[in-house]
Amino acid sequence: MSAQEKPPASTLPLGATPGTSPGTPAAKPSPSEALAGIEASLHALRTQYTERFAAASTEQQLRDENAKIVGKKGDLTTILKQMGAVPGDARKSIGEQVNALKAEVETAFNSALASMARAKREAELGGRPFDMTLPGRTVAPLGHRHPLSIVREDVISIFESMGFAVHDGPEVELEENNFTKLGFPPDHPATDMQDSFWTTGGHLLRTHTSNVQSRALSSRKPPMAFIAPGAVYRRDDDVTHSPMFHQLEAFAVDEGLTLAHLKGVLAEFAERLYGPGTPIRLRPSYFPFVEPGAEVDVGCVFCKRPDGTRAGCNLCKHTGWIEILGCGMIHPVVLEACGIDSEKYTGFALGMGIERIAILRYDIPDIRLFFENDPRFLNQF
Amino acid sequence: MKASYNWLRSLVPQLNDSPEALAARLTAAGLEVESVRRFGEGIETCELVAVKALRPHPSKSGLRLVTVDRGVQGTIEVVCGAPNVPEPGGMVVFAPLDTHLPAVNITIAPRAIGGVTSEGMLCSEVELGLSDEGQGILVFPPNFAKPGSKFVEVVPSAQDVVLEIGLTPNRADCLGHRGLAREIAALYGFPFEPPPPQAPSAMSDAAADKAVQVSIDDTERCFEYVAAVLTDVQVAPSPLWLRYRLSALGVRSISNIVDLTNLVMFEFGHPMHAFDLERVQGATIRVRRARAGETLKTLDGVERHLDEDDLVICDAAGPVALAGVMGGGHSEVANTTRRILLEVASFDPRSVRRTGRRHGLHTESSHRFERGIDHGDSSVVMATAMSMGIRLAGGAALRGTVKATGKPIAPVVVRLRSARLNAMLGIVVPFAEAKGILARLGFQLKDVDGTTVEAVVPSHRPDITREVDLIEEVIRVRGLETVPAVLPSLHASRPVGNTEALMARVRSAAVGVGLSEAVTFSFVSPRDLEIVGAPPPAVLLRNPLSENQSVMRTSLLPGLLAALGHARRHGEKDVRLFTVGRIFLKGQGEGLPREQLSFAAILAGHRGAHLSKPAPLDAWDLKGVADGFVERFAGLKPNSEAYPQEQRPAHLHPKAAVLLALGGRPLGHFGLLHPDVTDALDLGTEVLAVELDVEALAKEATTSRTYKAIPRFPGSTRDLAVVVHEDILAGHVEAAVREAAGSLAESIEVFDRFVGGSLPLDHASLALRIVYRRHDRTLTDAEVDTQHASVVETVTKRFSASLRA
Repeated sequence: MSAQEKPPASTLPLGATPGTSPGTPAAKPSPSEALAGIEASLHALRTQYTERFAAASTEQQLRDENAKIVGKKGDLTTILKQMGAVPGDARKSIGEQVNALKAEVETAFNSALASMARAKREAELGGRPFDMTLPGRTVAPLGHRHPLSIVREDVISIFESMGFAVHDGPEVELEENNFTKLGFPPDHPATDMQDSFWTTGGHLLRTHTSNVQSRALSSRKPPMAFIAPGAVYRRDDDVTHSPMFHQLEAFAVDEGLTLAHLKGVLAEFAERLYGPGTPIRLRPSYFPFVEPGAEVDVGCVFCKRPDGTRAGCNLCKHTGWIEILGCGMIHPVVLEACGIDSEKYTGFALGMGIERIAILRYDIPDIRLFFENDPRFLNQF
Repeated sequence: MKASYNWLRSLVPQLNDSPEALAARLTAAGLEVESVRRFGEGIETCELVAVKALRPHPSKSGLRLVTVDRGVQGTIEVVCGAPNVPEPGGMVVFAPLDTHLPAVNITIAPRAIGGVTSEGMLCSEVELGLSDEGQGILVFPPNFAKPGSKFVEVVPSAQDVVLEIGLTPNRADCLGHRGLAREIAALYGFPFEPPPPQAPSAMSDAAADKAVQVSIDDTERCFEYVAAVLTDVQVAPSPLWLRYRLSALGVRSISNIVDLTNLVMFEFGHPMHAFDLERVQGATIRVRRARAGETLKTLDGVERHLDEDDLVICDAAGPVALAGVMGGGHSEVANTTRRILLEVASFDPRSVRRTGRRHGLHTESSHRFERGIDHGDSSVVMATAMSMGIRLAGGAALRGTVKATGKPIAPVVVRLRSARLNAMLGIVVPFAEAKGILARLGFQLKDVDGTTVEAVVPSHRPDITREVDLIEEVIRVRGLETVPAVLPSLHASRPVGNTEALMARVRSAAVGVGLSEAVTFSFVSPRDLEIVGAPPPAVLLRNPLSENQSVMRTSLLPGLLAALGHARRHGEKDVRLFTVGRIFLKGQGEGLPREQLSFAAILAGHRGAHLSKPAPLDAWDLKGVADGFVERFAGLKPNSEAYPQEQRPAHLHPKAAVLLALGGRPLGHFGLLHPDVTDALDLGTEVLAVELDVEALAKEATTSRTYKAIPRFPGSTRDLAVVVHEDILAGHVEAAVREAAGSLAESIEVFDRFVGGSLPLDHASLALRIVYRRHDRTLTDAEVDTQHASVVETVTKRFSASLRA
């Protein structure tokens, strides 16, 4: 506390008996005069303290004023010092009066203090609001996962919760695993759908994640349920095709697996990815490594009406359906090529393009946007 | 495959479904109809009118005023710019007012041309949507029809509906209208009874086998070759119905004989060929492999150098056609051709495919042969071609055909078990229903017992070889919607490999330090790898799309730097990107490459600032990102040390090239890219980069984190400010402090550094804050003072440092 803030020496209030300040030599008053003087002083103090508190405009002034009344060197102390001159029988009464006044002053002080704090709080609350339209401050800029990764992780987690586990596989692969074991006949137009990049070492960049199926089926005994996500490569480059893109394949092999089970997994997947009640539709199709094979449509997510019907839109070409993946029962040829008894075991497989799912989810017009990695694109996810 | 709805209906007369309903039914059965398009759409109001008079336009040269007779509607004069308006009497097609012609998107309205108002238009085939080329208006001979008749009533073939079907490669049987009709009949349950071919209307006494010889050398690749001869034909334009049918199917009309071969192909899905017999040397056909050095000029005018693997049709002099792919130019049917040799053959699909790919040819013919034609229909196809040929081009057919055969194709018999059918589908299909479906598709069935049947596969379905193929046929026709969705109880598997999990962890850690994820191509330019000092590529592509994508990356940096370049070209200067993916390193021996999961990040531009001037990013921003990433990923703080000059990666700046290690194991490096690198890649900015081996990082990552007690006793903080020579690194001072402070020092932090001011030249002021603490009691001031004094002494002595007040 600085020197200036120290409470000033006590001063008796106006009307108090003069000449009673401590250290002031004076004639000793008579007991009755002393009693009357004390009572007068108490009375004067009682009538003044409210005004004195009210006159304080700062908390410090208030505290100072309080100290002048009840402090060690305050008015009450000064009054009590005169007690010696008071007749013994009156002392008790004076003492009670002093204590009562002290309590009164304390209550008044606390209340004045509280109302002063409240007024200050109100003033603070009532000040000019901050300009919250100014930009927020971040410790570090926010990072964003790539939309393909968001979709990939979402899809993986859906299949993991159904009991599938991730199975790794290489991107540079043997022809055997990518084509032969999957039942692609040599020199067959089916390979037109998957025009491959070949390496000078005689390998190829996998054209689909189904190479993982070859590897898993060849290296372990059923039952099994795996998902294989990752980059795949085909020699296409236009608005709807990228020479590198991503697929996610899920497959299961066990005794007694049926097409109905495949549909069950697909229906569950569609509802988990696109929301409860999302319908699916299977259309027969052809992939060399499944039979029966099908393409799967989901009810268009863009033109869905509240009642669950579809209005038809450009994205679903007014059919109400959007194709999202291919699937089928694993062809016995594949099981046999991988050393699995195709009479005892059956299996199903399904595969989707991650870009396709992301394009539909985020309404992205050009597949090339995924690979340009423009910050203005990435920051949207 | 484009299919004519009218043609299909003529083959399946019971079909009443609209084209759209038919499309939906086909799609549901696996023949995906991609579009339904109207041919000759919107021309219903067009009339056939007779030209009455012609006069030049009064002011516009090149235009004429044509008065035409519209029958009961009277006459009208219209402006016409066509050069081929016929003389009076000739008939033309008139589009009256308000007609909308979708093919050219024109609605006919009154139009003033050079002061003459024309209320209608004389139309060309292009305007009517009947052809995509041609000059002048459509002209008919006098008295072709009553003036004012509706054009489409007189020429009904001018209208059709075309279904574009995206056939899967296994369904070669539907590459012809008969096959499609058979499929439709099976789907709807209608009988399929195509008309048998008629005998040629004119038959010569001469026998075909006296006129030509046919032999097959390569019996493995040519299963059958049937030849027939038409003589005294008149090669001429095709009649309208044929022209419009082909046009509807997207094929240009050439001449009656060429159109004949296309028409037959579109009916049966079986390609055929017509030779000018006079140009077939020795009237001899021989099917053999090409010989080294042989050449053939094909119909497209290209001189082909044949390969010994190519199957060719030869005459006495040499190759005249690439079997199943394309005919030769020399023996092509011309306007003067009078004798025709027709070919209907069956070739090995794989041979046709290889030849087609080798020569870069994909034709309607090779498309069908590759997928497998009906090897049992050649006699019907040839009979149809002969009678249609005479109908179109006159002349006569020589008696009989000449046939040679190669390896016989044995009929395929497949068993279907009811139990297997149900087990595969997960439903119960009444066996009688299954058999009914197969019978409708053309299978001949023989019951083995009540639950098993033997099916003889028809020759038009070479794709059916196993029981599962029959199962697919049954459920395809029955409808996949008849199978319910049932969730299986799967035996949960355990993950194999951890790449995916590591990638997810990397993403989470990287995003947490403010990086955004880029996904970049795995193939890069070898030059870019060299520029960033990456290992030489281990995987080279034999058939890349471009040199820029010709090798598999051995570093993630080129991809990220390309993204940076793209961003900067588009005005985005502040870039904080990471990517996680595989790099492809040399594997063992000749085997597959080693695919190693890696992480890289780049920073360029400015540090985020709040309502103040942004400052450029520097090496310490990068260090914060690199350390923060490793700490988040691995739970441990990495060590980073400047590379000794001789070990520094060449792509990093000598002033800021740092080796990052964890547990003594190097994980990668970070630093400022060498200005030569940024110049070579034309990036135009400073780039900070970090590259880490994710697999090594994962191995060093802490697997068990244990809780460390939060201190309960107060610590004492002492600051130390020293002036040292600038050659002395802060890290070394910090290490000396750590050593001198011993176990009492809980933390040591360099919190200030400055140079200049009143400091001696080449000197820097370093300020360190040391927190002393014991975990079992409160330290006394005396203890702390003693310890700190020894710290001060060590630092001042060791580094010749002076204390700052």
